[in-house]
Amino acid sequence: MKNVTGFSIILITGITILQAPPASGQQNSQPRPQRPQGQSPASRPRPKSAAPQTYSEDQVRDGEVRFGAQCGFCHGKDAAGGESGPDLTRSELIAQDSHGDKAGPVIRAGRPSAGMPAFSSLSADDLNVIVAFLHSQMDKFAQLGGGRRSVDPEDLATGNAAAGREYFNGEGKCSSCHSATGDLAGIGKRLQGLNLLRRFLYPSGNRGSNPSRATFLLASGQTVVAPVVAEDEFSVTVLDPLGARQTYQKSAVNVKIDDPLLAHFEQLGKYTDTDMHNVYTYLETLK
Amino acid sequence: MRIVARIAIFLSLATVPAGAQNVDPKELLSPPADTWLTYHGTYNGQRHSQLTQITPENVGNLKQIWHFQATQQLKASPIVADGKIYVTLPDNLWAIDARTGKELWHHQHTKNNAFHIGHRGAAIYKDTVYLTTPDCHLIALSARNGEVKWDVLMADSGKGYWSTNAPLVIRNHVIVGVAGDFDNLPGLLRSFDAETGKPQWSFYSTPPPGQSEPRSGGATGGQMWNTGTYDPELNLMFVGTGNPTPVLNGGPRPGDNPWTCSIVSLNPDTGKLAWGFQVSPHDTHDWDAAEVPVLVDGDFNGQPRKMVLQASRNGYFFVLDRASGKSLLTKPFAAVNWSKGLDELGRPVPNPEKEPSRSGVLVAPDEGGATNFWPPSFDPKAGLFLVNAKDGYGIYFFKQADGAYGWAGADYGLAGRGSLRAINYQTGKIVWEHPYVRGGSSAGILTTESGLAITGDASGNLLAVRTSDGTSLWHENIGRMGGAPVTYELEGRQYLLVSGGDALYAYALR
Repeated sequence: MKNVTGFSIILITGITILQAPPASGQQNSQPRPQRPQGQSPASRPRPKSAAPQTYSEDQVRDGEVRFGAQCGFCHGKDAAGGESGPDLTRSELIAQDSHGDKAGPVIRAGRPSAGMPAFSSLSADDLNVIVAFLHSQMDKFAQLGGGRRSVDPEDLATGNAAAGREYFNGEGKCSSCHSATGDLAGIGKRLQGLNLLRRFLYPSGNRGSNPSRATFLLASGQTVVAPVVAEDEFSVTVLDPLGARQTYQKSAVNVKIDDPLLAHFEQLGKYTDTDMHNVYTYLETLK
Repeated sequence: MRIVARIAIFLSLATVPAGAQNVDPKELLSPPADTWLTYHGTYNGQRHSQLTQITPENVGNLKQIWHFQATQQLKASPIVADGKIYVTLPDNLWAIDARTGKELWHHQHTKNNAFHIGHRGAAIYKDTVYLTTPDCHLIALSARNGEVKWDVLMADSGKGYWSTNAPLVIRNHVIVGVAGDFDNLPGLLRSFDAETGKPQWSFYSTPPPGQSEPRSGGATGGQMWNTGTYDPELNLMFVGTGNPTPVLNGGPRPGDNPWTCSIVSLNPDTGKLAWGFQVSPHDTHDWDAAEVPVLVDGDFNGQPRKMVLQASRNGYFFVLDRASGKSLLTKPFAAVNWSKGLDELGRPVPNPEKEPSRSGVLVAPDEGGATNFWPPSFDPKAGLFLVNAKDGYGIYFFKQADGAYGWAGADYGLAGRGSLRAINYQTGKIVWEHPYVRGGSSAGILTTESGLAITGDASGNLLAVRTSDGTSLWHENIGRMGGAPVTYELEGRQYLLVSGGDALYAYALR
């Protein structure tokens, strides 16, 4: 831990030299990683398997059983979404997968940041039949159309765009950070349905992305700003100018970390359902 | 050296209380310091240890003594008896040497196809250790070598039941619960004879198949998947019941749907209901009231009371008189927006406008809840109830096409911020909170008489804070804690046993 701290101080100096523009007040030095324009699976046309692949009926049947036991609690026994896991019959990852080449690594490593555990000890056979079942379910649901736990864009179209604009510019204070002609221009084209609803309510990035910035105050009085990639109560990890991760113990540096999603979080406690639907309908018109 | 070691072993054997290889169920009433005999440690569910060797002053000197590698994320609370630790995963039970962390024996249940969502722990009676399995077997194993003594079926996993349950042993009763949210199944709690495995009684929280009971409104569900607590003076056990089914569609099950989302009080000899209290009448958000009903004897508004306390998944903290089941206090301990207020019984009244709808409603808490299976702790000296809580929001949908079976709807979590909260049980006020940086914690909590609270934060840190004010005193990153910490003393040394990720770790002072 001591080593880390010693190293850190040198690096902070490095960042300062390279890019701290002291008194300008606009120290967003590091271009932040762009969040992917992902869409919520339930709000777009169903993906189709990119690579045709066939599995035996036995494999699919075994896969249903293994999937039910290991994955069904979160993703539903039929893979169409369960208590906490998404609908995999609409998963882009499964659509792009061929015989487990994409899905396998995710299943084995899990997605800890999204709460999915790692299934590192799953046998190759079990993994193979689970993938077989997922492809079979994807095809089955694509033929059926709809999907029993889907939320369709027309389900959400209950708001009033004018009232939504008023809320956006007034009570909701959305316009203090966002603009219909700036960052949100064309939002209704980029995002639809449930995905638009979820992302405007709380625009958390996909796995691992973190829009926070850390502002370090140096002994010299200079400040350095760096994008945060990870943080806990005791330490913060930022990207240095070369894109490498550096971890600092909070007790060893003077650092403030902003919380740009706090306003979104607090607003969740203030929206009425009518406000929420009005803002949704307003944003949908920004095409 | 060898002679010294032998003498040490001799002395340690001599000081171990009677019952080596044999846990008399009477010991469960007052467990010795070198044990952690039940899921909660004691019948009252307080998870408060009288051990004081590790203190706020010296907690920084804790070091890892050994670790035991399991095969997946541990969500169990281990039990400790006769120098052995028993820890579980779905289909698996390990006996481990409490001094070295070495495996003594391992029981692996037959591969099966029921839900493998997690496992909470084992139970012990005399020289028998009990394991429940995903496919709803209750298996009695020899504590000595893991040999199967008997194996009985608790419920039909083919119908959609599964079990994660750490059994509650009361005298010769092994009381076990099951889960089953994805099918419309009645809530079932059963008792089996600890010696023979013979069924003793079954309690249904909603009408059993083939029976109707108008008051339930046609609801199924109300599973009792978490371990209950027990008051030997009243001879009553207390257990939380799960949500009704269909889960998000409340239309086909009008009324309050007792006894789903309730705290129920049962006679452990007969399984007969003494009283029930519904913490979420007519739930449509999957908010099981399965959280630990913690038993506390103490003052309430200047009057001595026998109480039961629960921080419930629906965001409310409840204090009931546990003899009568009557409400003493109901207060939110996290963000809630689903209730119109309290009724005359002290129950939150659900706001029909927050029931899942076609266009969606914004609801606090989210489906995971303001808290969940992870056990809280109660420090009687401080009068504080500690819970890993979360302010969370979700959107809930239901349309007729979603039907009336199982989940019957859709919901999506939006955001949640977690913190460790300390609640004054007499006022429901949050005395302090220790916020976590990312999300919520799913770790249980242990408090000790020296004024320490041990838990896991949302970032994989094992965390020690001061019980009186929540200040961080020490931490070590060991991976996400899914179980609850326990403590015991062996040969004069206090051990702290915690899970992090896939492993179990023992700590003691260096």
